[in-house]
Amino acid sequence: MSQSFDKLLDARGLNCPMPLVNARKEISRIEPGQVLKVIATDRGSVADFQGWAKIAKNVELLAQERESVDGASVYAHYVKRTT
Amino acid sequence: MERAKDNVWTTGDLLGCLERREQFFLFDVRNREDFERFRIEGREHLRAVNVPYFEMLELGGQDDMVDSVVAYVEQHMANRPTHDLPILSVCAKGDTSEYVSQGLRRLGYASTNLKGGMKAWGSHYATRAVLKSAELELYQVSRPARGCLSYVVASAGKALVIDPLRHLHPYLDLARSEGFAIERVIDTHGHADHISGGPALASMTGASYHLHPYDAIHPIDVLPATISYEPIRDGQIFSVGRHEIEAVHIPGHTLGLVALRLEDRYLWTGDSIFIRSIARPDLGGKAETWAPLHVRSLRKLLGLPGRMIVLPGHFSNLDEADDKGIFTASLDDLKQRNEGLLVLQRESEDGFVRHLLESLPKFIPEYLDIKRINAGLLAADEDDASALELGKNACALSQAYKPSSGETP
Repeated sequence: MSQSFDKLLDARGLNCPMPLVNARKEISRIEPGQVLKVIATDRGSVADFQGWAKIAKNVELLAQERESVDGASVYAHYVKRTT
Repeated sequence: MERAKDNVWTTGDLLGCLERREQFFLFDVRNREDFERFRIEGREHLRAVNVPYFEMLELGGQDDMVDSVVAYVEQHMANRPTHDLPILSVCAKGDTSEYVSQGLRRLGYASTNLKGGMKAWGSHYATRAVLKSAELELYQVSRPARGCLSYVVASAGKALVIDPLRHLHPYLDLARSEGFAIERVIDTHGHADHISGGPALASMTGASYHLHPYDAIHPIDVLPATISYEPIRDGQIFSVGRHEIEAVHIPGHTLGLVALRLEDRYLWTGDSIFIRSIARPDLGGKAETWAPLHVRSLRKLLGLPGRMIVLPGHFSNLDEADDKGIFTASLDDLKQRNEGLLVLQRESEDGFVRHLLESLPKFIPEYLDIKRINAGLLAADEDDASALELGKNACALSQAYKPSSGETP
């Protein structure tokens, strides 16, 4: 069963740190309680989103999954804005 | 310092700095787990700090990465680096550290970025000539960040490659520039810490590929290798140009480990005798049964002529190299200073087996898959391979790996 989300951020093809830089900006644009889905091709984004979610006070990392988008494998991060 | 003016260092620049013992401050912005597992180490202690970039981004709190770095260092960094040393910014692939480097320069630091990051450093190769005479050429090809060593022996236009590492360009480039044909490729054993370049190099050059048959069985899976190889037997002679190299079976680190000797001159020890330390006997999961074999094999090597020059399969610290950056020493010399051989020479077989079993470093789970890949039982793309090979080899006894030092803020 896949996670539901309110907004999608396509960070495919972007190198570190841009997936996270852009995700932070998008989080500030959604409402508390809403979920941002980030899709990225950078393998390092998996550990980085975990580390970021631990230190950021207003987000919760709900799930991370490998998904297939346009026939290619991507890393999907589901981030909820908490406050 | 000339280098500190440059805004970017290549991995070659970095190696040169480490070898010359030039002082710099290491600013590593990867996550803590990656920093703990694999960091830049020099010939001596490097002053280092690890601040994950996502902490700088979040705590710095700016939309822009460079702005966040500036804000973080100014407002949140308790132990700020002093301005008396150049700072090398390092991340996984060299992109994020460029933003960090820019932020540090805005704060007045002499900061450079490591091009390609730790991925490039982990795949940096250095080729050094051990001997270059009219009748024989011998090169040590090292992967400094991983402590892996491989060799090219050439005579009369023909070359034999020993333990080639995963990336083949160092061997192909050398063969092209020096004008010799690679005829044979030998793996001294089935490697656990790195993916062998042996089968690929052999098929690319048309060379034969040789491995002891005992190492063509995965020791944990107990499954036969699917790669194609010619079985090495104890005492087998390989000719290379006008010289001959003999295989000496020395089981212990693996069951099929062979040393190679070129007359009474050179001795490739694979993973048995290193410069400062010796190999561990437990990577096949059978430490108790393999340790006694290891002891007897090491004693067999100690019985060879003391003037023979040892060419090992690994090193643990850059300071094990001589002043030309080559990792080598005579057998007699190693009897006097190699930590493992010193214990071996004063202990009984039982006593030394106990010493081995008490000195086993942590088992690296990735090594099971690396052995599977080397046996052809598992495929890996570049990303998988590079993740599996992350960090320094752990093929020696624990004494080889001194506690690492590094500060966190």
